[in-house]
Amino acid sequence: MSSFGFGLMTAAVLAIATVGFTMQFAVTNVLNLAYGSIMINSAFVAYYANAHGVTAWASLPFGVATGAAASWALNRFVFTPFQRRNPAPITVVIVALGVDLIGTFGLQAIVGGSYVSYHQSQGHEYHIVGMFLSGLQLIILAICAVVLVTIHWLLRYTRLGKAMRATSANPNLARNSGVKTQFIISTTWLISGALCGLAGVVFAMNTGVFEATSAQLYIVLLLAAMFLGGPGEPYGAMFGALVIGLSTEISAAYVNPQYKEVIAFVALLGMLTFRPYGIFGSEKTL
Amino acid sequence: MSAYAFYFATILIYAAVDAMACLALNVEFGFAGISNFGFIIFQSAGAYAAAVLSMPRAATSNGGFQSYILGWSLPWPLPWIGAAVVGGLLALPFVFLVGKRLRGDFAAVGLLVSAVLLNVLVKDFVPFLNGAAGISIVPAPFQSIWNPQGVAYQFAYGGVAIVLTILVYFLLRRITESPYGRSLRAMRDNDIVADSLGKNLRLNRTSMLVLGGAVAGLSGAILVGFISLWAPGAWGYAETIVFFAAIIVGGAGNHKGAILGAILVPVGFEEATRYIPPLANPTLVPSLQWVAIGLLIVLFLWFRPDGILPERRRILSRKPTAPPLPPSDDPDALIQIGNLEGLDFGHLLRLGEPTNDHRVILSTQGLSKSFNGVTVVEDVSIEIRQGRVTGMIGPNGAGKSTTLAMLAGTLPSSAGRIFLEGEDITAMSSHKRAQAGLVRTFQLASEFKKLTVMENLVSAIPNQSGDSFWGSLRGRRHWGSEDKANIERAEEVLEGFGLTQYANAYAGGLSGGQRRLVEIMRSLLAEPKVLLLDEPMAGVHPNLAHKIGDQLTRLSEGGMTILMVEHELAIMDAFCDPVIVLAEGRVLAEGTMAELRQMPEVVEAYLVG
Amino acid sequence: MDRISTTWPGVTAASRMRRRVTLLIALLAIITATVGLPGTKALAAPKFHGSLTIAAVAPFTGADAVLGPKYQTACLAASQAINLSGGILGKQVNCKVVDTRGDPADAVPAVRQMYATTSNLALVIGCTSDEASTVVPVLDAHKTVSFCMTGESEFDAIHFPYFFRLVPPDAADSVAMVKIAKNKGYKNIALAFGNDAGSQTFVQPALNAIKANGMTVVSNQTLDINATTFNTEAQAIVASHPDAIMMEALGAAGVAILQEVYQLNNNKMIPVIGTSAMIDPVFFSGITTAIGTQNFIKSFDADNGTVNFSGPAYPLYKKLVLAQAGKVKGVPSFPGLLTANGTVHLYDGINLAALAMVMSHSTVGSKYRADILKIAKGGPGATVVSTFAAGVRALKAGKTIQYFGVGGKYQFDKFQTAYGLFEDDQFNADGTTFSAGSLGLCTLVSCK
Repeated sequence: MSSFGFGLMTAAVLAIATVGFTMQFAVTNVLNLAYGSIMINSAFVAYYANAHGVTAWASLPFGVATGAAASWALNRFVFTPFQRRNPAPITVVIVALGVDLIGTFGLQAIVGGSYVSYHQSQGHEYHIVGMFLSGLQLIILAICAVVLVTIHWLLRYTRLGKAMRATSANPNLARNSGVKTQFIISTTWLISGALCGLAGVVFAMNTGVFEATSAQLYIVLLLAAMFLGGPGEPYGAMFGALVIGLSTEISAAYVNPQYKEVIAFVALLGMLTFRPYGIFGSEKTL
Repeated sequence: MSAYAFYFATILIYAAVDAMACLALNVEFGFAGISNFGFIIFQSAGAYAAAVLSMPRAATSNGGFQSYILGWSLPWPLPWIGAAVVGGLLALPFVFLVGKRLRGDFAAVGLLVSAVLLNVLVKDFVPFLNGAAGISIVPAPFQSIWNPQGVAYQFAYGGVAIVLTILVYFLLRRITESPYGRSLRAMRDNDIVADSLGKNLRLNRTSMLVLGGAVAGLSGAILVGFISLWAPGAWGYAETIVFFAAIIVGGAGNHKGAILGAILVPVGFEEATRYIPPLANPTLVPSLQWVAIGLLIVLFLWFRPDGILPERRRILSRKPTAPPLPPSDDPDALIQIGNLEGLDFGHLLRLGEPTNDHRVILSTQGLSKSFNGVTVVEDVSIEIRQGRVTGMIGPNGAGKSTTLAMLAGTLPSSAGRIFLEGEDITAMSSHKRAQAGLVRTFQLASEFKKLTVMENLVSAIPNQSGDSFWGSLRGRRHWGSEDKANIERAEEVLEGFGLTQYANAYAGGLSGGQRRLVEIMRSLLAEPKVLLLDEPMAGVHPNLAHKIGDQLTRLSEGGMTILMVEHELAIMDAFCDPVIVLAEGRVLAEGTMAELRQMPEVVEAYLVG
Repeated sequence: MDRISTTWPGVTAASRMRRRVTLLIALLAIITATVGLPGTKALAAPKFHGSLTIAAVAPFTGADAVLGPKYQTACLAASQAINLSGGILGKQVNCKVVDTRGDPADAVPAVRQMYATTSNLALVIGCTSDEASTVVPVLDAHKTVSFCMTGESEFDAIHFPYFFRLVPPDAADSVAMVKIAKNKGYKNIALAFGNDAGSQTFVQPALNAIKANGMTVVSNQTLDINATTFNTEAQAIVASHPDAIMMEALGAAGVAILQEVYQLNNNKMIPVIGTSAMIDPVFFSGITTAIGTQNFIKSFDADNGTVNFSGPAYPLYKKLVLAQAGKVKGVPSFPGLLTANGTVHLYDGINLAALAMVMSHSTVGSKYRADILKIAKGGPGATVVSTFAAGVRALKAGKTIQYFGVGGKYQFDKFQTAYGLFEDDQFNADGTTFSAGSLGLCTLVSCK
């Protein structure tokens, strides 16, 4: 049961991150491999706010704002100009990889190679039906729940959400039906970027210590969760994050923690091979 | 003096290894269009293979402080050959990722993730390849009789490495400058279209992964023989990005570009930074190096996407005497130049004697397609008769293109069966259908952008003896004269369509109407029995459209069967008999246009739809 | 082809083995007392004919960049002492930096470049576990004497005639850790070592030593140093109720695992015995931020090589090391270097080699290497010397000598590895350390 608790934590952070990641894919058809670098940059901005006397929770908005601004700028000034040239999708992915290097190692050049942590108490340790969760982790779980419900409300019940879904399903049709797709895409990048920043900060809080390169391999978990639920599917992303989070931690308890991420790798490769449109997705999304 | 010689020899060896690796990656990425984000694992597999093949058994070697598999103490060159074999074989598990169904960028992340996964496994499972510590004290070739640290040895080693790199260069060039290489580049530019012309994507890509893997493996063997150590830290997945940067800088699709990139990025760039003195922040220089690699990639892709040495344009045709006009949609110019009427397609396309018996050649039974529960095509049963030009019309969203895609195999059907000449081809893959004579065109622009017009045309011709991996290896002597004949045929077609001047121009640079013509010419040169045309006249001037229609009629009289999806009813009136009407995914009616005009439901479907 | 070395997981040097990263015992009180370098300026500059180069081949950039400056400092300090005494055979000694970036593949061209650009190379120091595997064969083939700071076990198995090391192999470190556990009466031990090569090398010797001392391993966790959380590993350790955790995990992983252990153990610390590499200021600040200074320092011990503060070599060594302040980049605290393994032992190594050159009247490796062994061993009637100057005087007087350096006397085994004294170190609240007791001379089997 304790590993269920650990899995829940991994899943909560991953869910926030994957929803943002998959929304970006949905509206712009880009696998944004620079996502992890924006996460960690956001975590560091929050860290510096924290180091200058702001409490860790109050520094969270700094991280969120960084994620939103950086993601929006990335789409506006890098991905969109490239996509206007109508290149093969892979070109944009390679560009994203290049941006990831610039983001991560640019940060490392500034902050150096050593690790840091927030000035923040982990809080009291709670034992809840066999799970071990700190006060901090309970708050992160609560944040995750609020965010996911908000995203659900946004997508289902607002005009903006409907326009986002329409743009994702068929941008040309959406544009012809009077949706301002360019505005919708920009807004989506702002919102998904905010999720990215939020994910970066709670990721760093949950791990306790972090450095410029901490999120480098996080992209593997992101991809696994996204492909499990279907690329571009926010609800699929939530489902995928839950499955990946739980399965990695539970397999860690029963197999060998060193190999815990192997299950995520295998899930991803399996999905790519047999159902690249996800368990729930349809093949037309490709 | 000799100290400089050592340094020079070292750089020589690294340059050869990097150049070889970049050549291998370039043939995968620059020619075949496979974004192998896991490239480093192939080099690594070769290095490990060479190490464990040349080392003695783990238990007995060097006091047994490391553990690894094999340990066969093989003499040179067997470990190097083994490295190439292992590097090549490692490609086989990835055959599942490089088929038609998976987008290129998805396959790329699959390979990337595989590279990360393998690194983790090798690092943590110590008995396999000694885990994170890696394998050290790998013997250099002939070290028992020749001191590997001597100058002569080092230069000999560098010499062998360079000779092998040159051999690899010629081998790869032999493959890429053949009809097979043309097919690879066609596949790179538009894989679905290449598939519809009968190119076997999975086989071609796997072949290139195996070939690239073998070359990468050999480069790993050369490296490990020199540095005597191989460990997981030396092959982090990010090393692949350095090679990609090298190719993007040097020029993808150009072997010399790959070599130049190798010399500039992994060798030159890295060696130059060795002379930067240590700064206060010890991670600063290495961090900025990665930033620079990232910037190189992004800036080159923006400002010079073709690299320093762009892919060479292949001049196949000697016909064009004047430089190509700027892309033009001026129909009059085209028609005056073109001599479509004079073309003897029957001869050019090897149609043989006309044997029009109007038997059913292509038919479907209950063909259906649904996407995620939404039915797009439902229970379509049609019969296409040999030697006829059958039309297919219907309002937007009626399922015309989907039906055509299912016939050609571009989309798998959800239910129902398809027969070609009585044979059930429902389960047959699309490239096999194309090889069987069922060829389609596409509604959207589908030219191979970075192939010339002539290459676009010739690439479609089936059964070329140089259009296979082994055929290409046999060299120009094997396929040269045949290729020349093919080019001449294509030149005649081109002349008929009035585009001779554009023979050596990149297809991607043509106007929309011209590209449409290229596609029609290309589909004809694929020598189809049944030609499936998806709105072929869209964007073509009506006068020219009628000329093309006349030719299609003549082709059908000559024995070709044509199914044409078209919006333009005038085209249907003039050339198609019978015409099938689809509405909401079902067959609404079938008959001549005159008959259809009498049917109220057809008129209503069109007016309402 | 890993010409770029960084802290990127999966890209870092093949072997992130920062051996003997003993940074820091900052005896601030002592430095404040020791200011300036009286005497050195007063000496007349001796006349030299010719020069020699000692190269520090080590990581100066990348993940292990803290190592290089320690060796460079040792080189500058020792060469200053030698030059003040007239140099080696009348030649002035210079120091040179060769950056391997902590990467075995990168190190090969770096060393080749060194040979290409250094005509008067007399000695190489450094060669950490990061690059020793690829560098030592090259050095040995050039008959260049090297003093290496590697604990790698392959050098216990293969004889490289020109390779010397003044630090014990990693296995001896493990034996010393077990000795600490034994002294404290622990019975049940949990192991938590990083999955990098440098940390993994401790595991098997530790398992053997624990068994030999009648203790029990209750949990053995391998930590993926690129992972960000270690919930499962921490949970397994806590659930096994160990008396102590033996560990080495570098980077953020070391802090993360201990923080999670602390948290899952209801905010109580389990005693930790670390390797000497865990005596690291960055680790100290990370872990004390995470779980509180007092919680940490009262439950942490680490084995470390002993420095002979009271020996005759120490005063000059201290003066010279502190004199390098400002001349070497990347050193956070020069007083901290006084007890750093690399600085201590390489300072001794350079003195040993320099005396051997004087004794053999040659700066060529093949001529003087045998005399290193002789000077280390001494023998009956040998004059014990603690400085280069004293050694030269004794040699000129026709005596046989034995070198007794900052790290004491050096006894080489047949693979030319010297074993040394170990001690049990603990942290003070300010991040400096103190010795909580000697562990004796630790070998691959036991401590005496």
